[in-house]
Amino acid sequence: MQKKKTNGNNVYVTGMGVLTSSARNIEEFSSDLIHGKSGIGILKGKIVNGRDAVGAELDVEMVRNNLRIHIENAALPEDTIQKIKKCSHRASKSIKASLSCVAEAYMQAELFRQPVPKERIGLIVAGSNLTYKIREEYLSSYLNGFEYLSPYYALRFLDTDHVGVISEIYDIGGEGFTIGGASASGNLAIIKAHQLLQLGIVDVCVISGAVAELTSMELQGFYNIGALGGRKYADFPELASRPFDRGHEGFILGEASGCIILESEASVVSRNVIPLVKLLGGKNSLDGNRSSNPSLDGEINMMRALLKEHSLKPDDISYINAHGSSSPLGDETELRAIKNIFKSNFSSLWINSTKSLTGHCLYSAGIVEAIATIIQMNKGFVHPAKNLESPILEGFLFSSKTSALVDMKYTLSNSFGFGGINSSVLFKNL
Amino acid sequence: MSKVDVFSSLKESINELLPDIDLADINYEESLKDLGANSVDRMDIIIETMEKINVRIPLVEFGNAKCIKNIVDIMCRYSGE
Repeated sequence: MQKKKTNGNNVYVTGMGVLTSSARNIEEFSSDLIHGKSGIGILKGKIVNGRDAVGAELDVEMVRNNLRIHIENAALPEDTIQKIKKCSHRASKSIKASLSCVAEAYMQAELFRQPVPKERIGLIVAGSNLTYKIREEYLSSYLNGFEYLSPYYALRFLDTDHVGVISEIYDIGGEGFTIGGASASGNLAIIKAHQLLQLGIVDVCVISGAVAELTSMELQGFYNIGALGGRKYADFPELASRPFDRGHEGFILGEASGCIILESEASVVSRNVIPLVKLLGGKNSLDGNRSSNPSLDGEINMMRALLKEHSLKPDDISYINAHGSSSPLGDETELRAIKNIFKSNFSSLWINSTKSLTGHCLYSAGIVEAIATIIQMNKGFVHPAKNLESPILEGFLFSSKTSALVDMKYTLSNSFGFGGINSSVLFKNL
Repeated sequence: MSKVDVFSSLKESINELLPDIDLADINYEESLKDLGANSVDRMDIIIETMEKINVRIPLVEFGNAKCIKNIVDIMCRYSGE
């Protein structure tokens, strides 16, 4: 392996796990990407404007079965299996999904077979406000009488329950926390994990993107601020997420979880594991804007600074996994930012948005889309841009109705979040 | 409410939280701790049971409960039997 230590330690991705409404693991997700399969339907029990909300729902039974299957495949010691059973029995769907993805990623990174000392493993859970659904579940008991509120509520309403459960089960003892950046949470987690590894604070960092388990009330809030789509295509859910298409009208919620394992070069070499891609780094910047609108300058400056930090020219980038949330203003702003930076090559720069297939996974979006980026880099293709029939701006190289074979060296994955948060992560193929 | 009914509700709450415990094995002399319930589990089981049998008892009342029998007795006292 090349040893070019220009900027601290080299960092690699050595494991991935994913769970979407239509894919139970990385293999199925790869197939969904290749075939442009959408997982968007109806979010059962979630009501917006008095009718069923459109979105990609993770089935709770599927999540439970999947966790069991991964644990069986991992051939874990009996006491670990008992611990998982106890901790996950009444855990939220979101925590169960995280546990499933971490197990899959641990398998690929061979962390069960060749473990790393627990104090050298970090854990970052991407997402905040993870427990509204839990609050809703406990509310009736509480209203029935304050004496009836379970003490578990105090553990479960805190986002740190994700950190506690995952670290207890997988025996993680280095730095750990949740990180909140709205729709940019996933990318912020990748960026912070990269920094932990570069600083030598940990050798391995587990990044877990949490499922956004919202209630009808949060969805209605998103609708009322003008961010949620699904009106025109309420009866055709698969058509509702339309990044960069003239028919876009707002984001469609996607429930999904993903896990990425980052590892230092020294650890990759000493454990003799095969890295998937190199993570060069990422960039996070603020617009100084409390509102929900994006900033063209903010996006331009963030992406430009990231390329500059790594001495890359715009021409070096062959693919961008766009934020592309299907929001009219957001989609247009991102394309204009890309055109401004990639003046010389924007017509040969591949662009798609995984949200056309998965919906907008909010907290885990950055993780799920980094995984999609890595799968495409490793297999050498760009996934179809579903529902992109009439692009809002001309001249860009959007992927088409079918996958295209593309060799990629450097790629970007963008995520922008409420709070004026801009972020992008930069990968290099091996 | 009879002791049998309270005990049955308590067992139901134990089962919801700790499904691996065989309900037939639970006896009056054991403590919830003996069954593998940690301190938060124990409060959860008691609160769940209170809600099931529709009584409200200050949690401090259970501070000296040594075994399942003591818990059932306290609950019966408050439920008027």
